Amino acid sequence: MHGTAPRWLAWSWVVPAAFLACFLAYPLAVLATRVATVDGLTKLMSATTWHVVPLAVLQAAISTVLAVVIGLPIANAVSRYEFRSRALAQALVTVPFVLPTVVVALSFRSLLGSGVPQGFALVVVAHVYVNIAVVVRIVGAQWAQQDGDFEAVARTLGATAWSAFRTVTLPTLRPAIVSSASVVFVFSFTSLGIVLLLGDASTRTLESQILRQTSVLLDFPGATASALAQLALVSVILVAGAIATRRTPRRRMRPVFRHPLPGAGAGRTTLLAVIVLAYAIVIAPVAALVVSSLRASGSWSLAWWTGIGSVDASTSRIGSPLSALATSVGFAMVCALVACVVGGLAAVAVLTRGRTRVVSLLAIVPLGISSATLGLGTLLAFSRPPTDLRGTWLLVPIAHSLIAVPLVVAVVAPALRSTDGRVQAVAASLGAAPTRAFLTAYGPVLRVVMLASAGLACAVSLGEFGAASFLARTGSPTVPVQIVRLLSRPGEQSYGSAAVLAVILVALTLGIVLAVDRLGETTRRGAAQA
Amino acid sequence: MNPSRLETVDLAIGYPGRPVAAGLDLSLKEGEILGILGPSGCGKSTLLGTIAGVVPALGGRILIDGTDVTDLPIHRRGVGLIFQEPLLFPHLDVLGNVTYGLRRQRTPRADAESRARQLLEWLHLGEYERANVNELSGGQAQRVALARALAPRPAVLLLDEPFSALDADLRTRLAQEVSQMLRDQQVAVIHVTHDPQEARAMADRVVTMSTLGRFDPQ
Repeated sequence: MHGTAPRWLAWSWVVPAAFLACFLAYPLAVLATRVATVDGLTKLMSATTWHVVPLAVLQAAISTVLAVVIGLPIANAVSRYEFRSRALAQALVTVPFVLPTVVVALSFRSLLGSGVPQGFALVVVAHVYVNIAVVVRIVGAQWAQQDGDFEAVARTLGATAWSAFRTVTLPTLRPAIVSSASVVFVFSFTSLGIVLLLGDASTRTLESQILRQTSVLLDFPGATASALAQLALVSVILVAGAIATRRTPRRRMRPVFRHPLPGAGAGRTTLLAVIVLAYAIVIAPVAALVVSSLRASGSWSLAWWTGIGSVDASTSRIGSPLSALATSVGFAMVCALVACVVGGLAAVAVLTRGRTRVVSLLAIVPLGISSATLGLGTLLAFSRPPTDLRGTWLLVPIAHSLIAVPLVVAVVAPALRSTDGRVQAVAASLGAAPTRAFLTAYGPVLRVVMLASAGLACAVSLGEFGAASFLARTGSPTVPVQIVRLLSRPGEQSYGSAAVLAVILVALTLGIVLAVDRLGETTRRGAAQA
Repeated sequence: MNPSRLETVDLAIGYPGRPVAAGLDLSLKEGEILGILGPSGCGKSTLLGTIAGVVPALGGRILIDGTDVTDLPIHRRGVGLIFQEPLLFPHLDVLGNVTYGLRRQRTPRADAESRARQLLEWLHLGEYERANVNELSGGQAQRVALARALAPRPAVLLLDEPFSALDADLRTRLAQEVSQMLRDQQVAVIHVTHDPQEARAMADRVVTMSTLGRFDPQ
């Protein structure tokens, strides 16, 4: 850091530290103390806590293997080869991952509802759909960077295409594959929305068990035990993943040769088939969802769309779909504001010598804590005086901010680190006061990344279901919570209203993600020109 | 008559819709080292990629030992390729890298390892055969890449700015050393670079890229 840095910069960690202590550490401590009783420890060791684990592990393992097997050829096609709609294809395969899980679940109900019964298979299919994007993004990035040339070298040494893939490409991609697989496994193992809407009585996760123990069985010690069991298992998997990928020398290399799509032959046909299939996989469920929102009594109708503002028999207890939308948008804005202030100040600390590691740790740690654990902890911590916040609307946006802060840090910190800080010294030498000099150097990049972060925080909050399902008040549910409540009621109207809400959520989420992507593009182009 | 090891006839290079050069005629004899000079982005790498088969030729023919290899897949051409980055396979040790090509030719492991050890000795790398490739210096890594490329006895060796990642002193020294060694092998070598000094240290004759054919053939 330069001597010209404003003095407040050294104290920027205070706000994030206080926020995390209050709203993350305190609830987790409350959870821990609940378990650290004789009754709690008995629950933690009891078969009831662990009986869902074997099937959940199997479910997550199958989802992971399938996501990797389907994701690899798509990663190959969209990351390595040049074709006209490549940018679109890369954006499109990411879509399922940014869609709220409740929306994904409803889409698959619309697409396969009558053909595939609810249960294990449908849950796996939806998890694979969501997580292909993880594999394509993580493995594709590595593949595009260097392995095309590794493969060329192997081929010149006499390896056939298959042999080069098996002996060189696959082993060099192994760290990226393991890393994406561990993320997919954790995601499938801790899944809630999809399991709730597409699973049956036996297909559960610890996450859905926590919700059931809290809201149906009112067994708080049991739920706490499940939350800690999950935390322990997830930590083991993430640490194992990190160890397996630890010794990866990551050198950015520019590929020597470009890879246009082959002009003709079997190679071209296979690649085109993979690309077309990827489009179909992504689009089909969302299209089915849109169709569901436009079908009433067996014919095309706008009835569910025109009725979203009205409170009727099926929705009177939980408010109209439109009021849920208003609640969600309000929460998203509060979440964006809080997450940007807290995450932004935490990220700025990256510019302070010696804090870089703490900041990068901060960007990861809360990701390992599931949203149901967060929701339960928050509920237990803030349900008693003097910190009884249940009567206020604050709990949902606070929990959402906690989920969004790591993302904000992950976006802002690298951008700040890659900005040329010498501008600050130059500005100071020209007479700028410390804060003015700081803003001259980092202001332009901060403006863009904070806007992008706010968008991401909004998207996270709009789609989040786990924590909100614990914390949303009965009369003012968020959109995902209302979708689940609507689907638990019989009747075509409930389903239609849920589909309308889901389509609106898709549109909002995609709009935000596209805008953020555009912002990122602008920044990259600006950086390239500079 | 001593036939050419490598010959290109009216070769056109580039990517579909974006041709780089056409009418490229080259001829190299066994043991000959040709230096090709040209600025970055003039198509040197594309030329080498086309000869190796990594980039499909847009037209013309490539002959190796008199056989037309233009439509042969990469792995059956017998062309070695070395880049600016050594691109050593990170999951294999030094010996694993050098024996890679021989193992693909189904050479028995013992024979492959004995040939690899000879090459490593010859390149003063004998003590590194079990070393992790990520722990080698830039110059060592590039010599391992050379041993790896020579092990399957290619007819043609293509060097794409192989020393440009090294510092100036080491670059010229290594260029001279490698040049000496390559003369003992029965291989035709093309060495492309933007550094005239390195090109002269290495090659029997040096040409500029622009004299080889028609550029910008729109």
